[in-house]
Amino acid sequence: MATLTRQDLNFGQVVADILCEFLEVAIHLILYVRDIYPSGIFQKRQKYNVPVQMSCHPQLNQYIQDTLHCVKPLIEKNEAEKVVVVIMNKEHHPVERFVFEISQPPLLAISSETLLSHVEQLLRAMILKISVCDAVLDSNPPGCTFTVLVHTREAATRNMEKVQVIKDFPWIVADEQEVHMEEAKLIPLKTMTSDILKMQLYVEEKTQKSS
Amino acid sequence: MTRLAEGGGKPTPQLGQARSLSMSRDGWRKKASENDGWGGQGGYMAAKVSKLEEQFQKDAPREQKKDGKSSCIFSGVAIYVNGYTDPSAAELRRLMMLHGGQFHLYYSRSKTTHIIATNLPNFKIQELKGEKVVRPEWIIDSIKAGRQLSYIQYQLYAKQKGLNFTRVSGIEGQDPSSNHGPDIKPQPSHTLSKDVLKSTQANHMANYTEKTDHQLDIRLRNGLHSIISEVDAEKSRVNGIHDDDDDDDIACSILPRGSQDTLLTNGHVHPVNGALKPQDFADHHPHVVDKASNQSHLPQDKYREGEEPCCSYTESKANSHLRSLISAASPAKQPGPHNMQTDLHQKPTSNSGTLGAPQKASLHDQTTVRLNGSYHVTSNSSTLANSSNQSGKSSAEAGIISEFFSHSRLHHISTWRNEFSEYVNSLQSRRRAAGGAVFSGREKLKKLKANCNSGSLMAAPQVRQSCVLHVDMDCFFVSVGIRHRPDLIGKPVAVTSNRGPGRVAQRPGANPQLEFQYYQNKQKHYRKEKTDGDLEMTPSPQDGEVPSNGVHEDLAALSMAEIASCSYEARQAGVRNGMFFGRAKQLCPDLQSVPYDFHAYKEVALAMYEILASYTHNIEALSCDEALVDATALLVELGVSPDELARSIREDIKEKTGCCASVGMSSNILLARMATRKAKPKGQYLLRSEEVDDFIRDQPVSSLPGVGRSMSSKLTSLGVSTCGDLQQLSLSQLQREFGPRTGQTLFRFCRGLDDRPVRSEKERKSVSAEMNYNIRFTQVEEAESFLNNLSMEVQKRLEGAGLRGRRVTLKVMMRKPGAPVEPAKYGGHGICDNFARSVLLAQPTDSGRVIASEAIKLFHAMKLNVKDMRGVGLQVQQLDGSHADPSGQGPSRGRSIRDLLLAKQSAHSPSKESPSQDGLISASSSRAFSSNQKRVTPALSPPPSTSSSSSPPPSFTIIDPMPGTSKGDYHHPHTPNHVRACLNISIEVPSPSQVDPSVLKALPIDIRRQVEETWRYREEQPSTSSHYSTPPRPPSTPPPGPSLVLQLPNQPGQPCTTGIILELPDFSQVDPDVFAALPRELQEELCSAYRNKGNAQAQASTVVEQKNSFPQLKQPAVGKLKRRYKKRNTSPAKNGSSPLKKMFPGNSPAKTSPSKTLPLPLREQDLKCPSSLSTDVPETLPKPIPRPAPTLAGAHEFSEIRTLLREWVTTISEPMEEDILQVVKYCTELVEDKDLEKLYLVIKYMKRLMQQSSESVWSMAFDFVLDNVQVVVQQTYGSTLKIT
Repeated sequence: MATLTRQDLNFGQVVADILCEFLEVAIHLILYVRDIYPSGIFQKRQKYNVPVQMSCHPQLNQYIQDTLHCVKPLIEKNEAEKVVVVIMNKEHHPVERFVFEISQPPLLAISSETLLSHVEQLLRAMILKISVCDAVLDSNPPGCTFTVLVHTREAATRNMEKVQVIKDFPWIVADEQEVHMEEAKLIPLKTMTSDILKMQLYVEEKTQKSS
Repeated sequence: MTRLAEGGGKPTPQLGQARSLSMSRDGWRKKASENDGWGGQGGYMAAKVSKLEEQFQKDAPREQKKDGKSSCIFSGVAIYVNGYTDPSAAELRRLMMLHGGQFHLYYSRSKTTHIIATNLPNFKIQELKGEKVVRPEWIIDSIKAGRQLSYIQYQLYAKQKGLNFTRVSGIEGQDPSSNHGPDIKPQPSHTLSKDVLKSTQANHMANYTEKTDHQLDIRLRNGLHSIISEVDAEKSRVNGIHDDDDDDDIACSILPRGSQDTLLTNGHVHPVNGALKPQDFADHHPHVVDKASNQSHLPQDKYREGEEPCCSYTESKANSHLRSLISAASPAKQPGPHNMQTDLHQKPTSNSGTLGAPQKASLHDQTTVRLNGSYHVTSNSSTLANSSNQSGKSSAEAGIISEFFSHSRLHHISTWRNEFSEYVNSLQSRRRAAGGAVFSGREKLKKLKANCNSGSLMAAPQVRQSCVLHVDMDCFFVSVGIRHRPDLIGKPVAVTSNRGPGRVAQRPGANPQLEFQYYQNKQKHYRKEKTDGDLEMTPSPQDGEVPSNGVHEDLAALSMAEIASCSYEARQAGVRNGMFFGRAKQLCPDLQSVPYDFHAYKEVALAMYEILASYTHNIEALSCDEALVDATALLVELGVSPDELARSIREDIKEKTGCCASVGMSSNILLARMATRKAKPKGQYLLRSEEVDDFIRDQPVSSLPGVGRSMSSKLTSLGVSTCGDLQQLSLSQLQREFGPRTGQTLFRFCRGLDDRPVRSEKERKSVSAEMNYNIRFTQVEEAESFLNNLSMEVQKRLEGAGLRGRRVTLKVMMRKPGAPVEPAKYGGHGICDNFARSVLLAQPTDSGRVIASEAIKLFHAMKLNVKDMRGVGLQVQQLDGSHADPSGQGPSRGRSIRDLLLAKQSAHSPSKESPSQDGLISASSSRAFSSNQKRVTPALSPPPSTSSSSSPPPSFTIIDPMPGTSKGDYHHPHTPNHVRACLNISIEVPSPSQVDPSVLKALPIDIRRQVEETWRYREEQPSTSSHYSTPPRPPSTPPPGPSLVLQLPNQPGQPCTTGIILELPDFSQVDPDVFAALPRELQEELCSAYRNKGNAQAQASTVVEQKNSFPQLKQPAVGKLKRRYKKRNTSPAKNGSSPLKKMFPGNSPAKTSPSKTLPLPLREQDLKCPSSLSTDVPETLPKPIPRPAPTLAGAHEFSEIRTLLREWVTTISEPMEEDILQVVKYCTELVEDKDLEKLYLVIKYMKRLMQQSSESVWSMAFDFVLDNVQVVVQQTYGSTLKIT
């Protein structure tokens, strides 16, 4: 994927790359931490200088990659408000929602070389937080699945329908059922603020998961 | 005329009538012309009196013979009948003849022993101080009993002094010439004219009380204004009874007689009801619309003149109305006596039984009673159309209003709370001054405790837990009313102005049925959801009736005097406070009525407060009979249990006042009040914290404060009737249903949580005066003069409170279209629509003149039909100590530009400017508003709105003269910069070309003038600007570069269509000196405006803006926060600015918008580097600035916050409300800033800190913060934080 050293692109793309890369790592990690898939399919890797878990199941990886690939244009245009990893129980009712709330400053200014390493530090902190988030969350019922939602700003959806980044992998409007969770409790995990990106991660957790 | 003559209620020969009328007219004239002469001819009166006496003596045996039975039980008693009585004066006279008494047609202080009356106006009461005023039953009952009973039982007023009563049989002997022989003579003539006044007055009053002649009533009705009626329950008619004079006497004596009668009957009464004393006069200024007044016009003026010197009442100046009325009404009155006289001729032959019939007839003739309200007033000037002098009228009205208020009883009671609050305040300050106080009660209790404990030391179970006592007198008015009437103890008693059987005549024009239906419908609407409503309603009518004061169709004639208070016995019968007396009497025929006794109320209330103050000074005055006591410290100090304390307080109260009090105790105000409910009557109840849950579960929701009828019906629809049910609802549900604030409150209240502290000191928020009784204008001028007077009253109050206010609100009640012209309640307002308009003044004022002119402007803008006005109120808000800033410079504390703008916004609602408006925003925003920025005239204060509310606000009015003026004086005139800086807030007036001329034409003239002036000013600006205190701005100055159109949020609840347009110059153009010289509020406001500007631009591309998700919470916090933290924070500058600098390294500090909470760092930076700011070069678009991180008192980093919080919690035992709000605000900002993590950490840290704290207040504070934060989070994210 994208490297951090590419200087020839505009900032929007840089940010989108950074973010998508991070999201990919994060999604893998979440799937691991929350026991969505058997831990056997995960391998330990190193990212942001910390150990992370990454799935080695090709289809799953493909799915995640495709998804993020479609998210990226939105992030570039600053049209994505939230990227949500929803964990659903067997009945497809969400039990947990990992919400990455993204806001970018309207104008980016990458002024120094230290910036990117600073961002990396922040992202690392976030990853670390994800890896320990099971401490504050109740365990999920068996048989959970996941999906990724994007909350867009404005009329971005309409454009997205026109331009499909990947053929046969269109965005669809999420079911209310997938979005809405009753009696949710909110657990903030981490907030990061840098010059190019402001992001916070919190989990919405259903109070009674087993029911 | 015919009807007039029926005054006596008996059929009378036509002839007599006619004669009496003509006679009376002559008489009046004569009297008027001879008025001066009366005194000189004093011998006449004396002669007449003795003649009458002779006659009486002569008649007596005849009468006795006729009747057969006679006695001497009244020997030595000489009565004088004052006013209308039952039995009538004639009958009384006969009875006195029969039973050896004397009947005086003229009152004589030396000879008359008893005055018989059923009702008396207050000033007579005052005049009759020391006399015995007795109800006629005394005579009847005495005769029945065969002996002279003690009159004490029959006193008209309970408070009458009876002590100087000696049963003098020799009184008669002292007779005419004894003391005053010669010099008494001029007097009668004085009193004559004077008392004519009084008598008519009394009669009017009687009208208002239930038993007056219908005829009179008709004549007086239109104009007459109410009165407090101290009506006795008896009716006897006394209007004109006297002896036969000699025939030749008749011609000239008829007039005097008419007046004499009234004179006799009315002239003198007892002081009695003290509180009424000086006041009520004001209540009695009737304005009569009276056709009969024609008669009086001739004599009127002279009469008035003549009367002046002998007019003894103090309020004379206010009374020209009254006088005109009186002179008008008196002639009308005269036939009455004459009738009676003719009656009298017949009477001797008839049995006393004849009285029955007329009485019955009169039952239907009775008029409505004035309710317990004492108000009355106002002008009905159709009367005055006739009345010759206009000037007299207006002055009279002026007097009326102020007197209305200074005398209105209910008004008094309602002001008592303030008085007692002040009393408590003064206690506090006295204690501070003295460095400690002597608490006698406390000492006593201590001693007691010491005695008890000498044996056993085990007591003092008191944990250190807050304890609030709620002391409430048991049916205060009643128990005070009957404390000297032991005979009434245990009987159903009601305090009301009505003392009769509760029936009155219906006035034409009134339509009680319709009103009844209206209220009933309303009620039905309320109780729609109540399923068991039907079942409940039928058997127990009071259930339904209580609130509506049910006026049944057949009950329309019932007295509508409201019951101010009723005893528990009466309550058992279904009588409720606020019920109309007539209705209550039906429910409970034994109901006794007790008159108001305001002196006693005050006395008792004061005694109660003194008792409380003898224990502690932590008292919050709730009303005259209710107070909250924070006994936490006291209990700890004394080591007594709350129960002991309560008992001691109650005993003291019982002992000192003779009235019972109930005490509720619990850990907070809410629970204490609920406990009181349980404690009543005559008890005390300690609600322990462990019992709270069980207790509150069963409480009906309506017992929660703030849950009124509409809310409880809403709750009922949610299936909630008890607090327990309410507890089932989630916070979010409640907030959805009732709004965040109320929902929150309910959520807490139904769990018994209440963190309101007991406040011994309170601040006033507004000063107002309002009247909705008897407002009947016919012409606009009357309304205006009324407003003038009302303003004066407001001025008086403002001055009294030492306050000035900036916002003037005019509230008007208008008859609802379709509602009857005359409401069921006499002089009442009936069914009304309420309207209110407010205006913001340039400077705080306490001048009645200014207020009046604004009010009148508002009034005209509302374009109301004056005839339908039923109530007028003026309120002044945004108060400011008047001493602080006499010149009005500088905005008042707590005020802000935003307030100002919002006020404007609400003030101009309408105009038809909309088409040009849109263009204006964009078009003119770039145009520098340089020229009219300086227009700073108070005259430009917002124009009154033009009636229709649908159209958008005019965009062209100039806003905010205030900041300009105030700042202008700070300026050094030589720096043009200052001008710009200080005037950077202004509202656009569109250029002439942008305004539709027709629209302009349609505007009220004053607005139009303002607009035109503005244009003119713009053109001539360089030359005219020197008129203004601020130095002229050089014409060459470039307009401030980028400007911003800022949409201010609409104030909740105010239907505003468009925002206000604000233009800010670039921040770099703001002169730091000027900025620093600005009042803090303005600085903050500017800072936040700049911040918003930054935000707006920052978000311009993002477009979606987080809407202000939590206005309710933030609003209150914004105004009054005192930045206490700053003081504690040793280096705010360092704390504040360093993070800022770090964060925006590239930006000049000038552009750095200040933090939300603390503009301080900004200011300091400004001062540090003014050079960067004063550069006059307008910059290009300011670079978008990231929204600054929220700070708490300047602290930004979490570690700082933590330190701050720890310091806060550990050093202070009880958090200040504003601090808590500050924290809430900070948390809210964190949410908005999308920094949930920090929020989470802060909350968790606070939780740890505060819940560990030994003080329960801290955990309550945490609950409060958390609840509020959860609301915000809920609104922003749809779910609440998980706090473990």
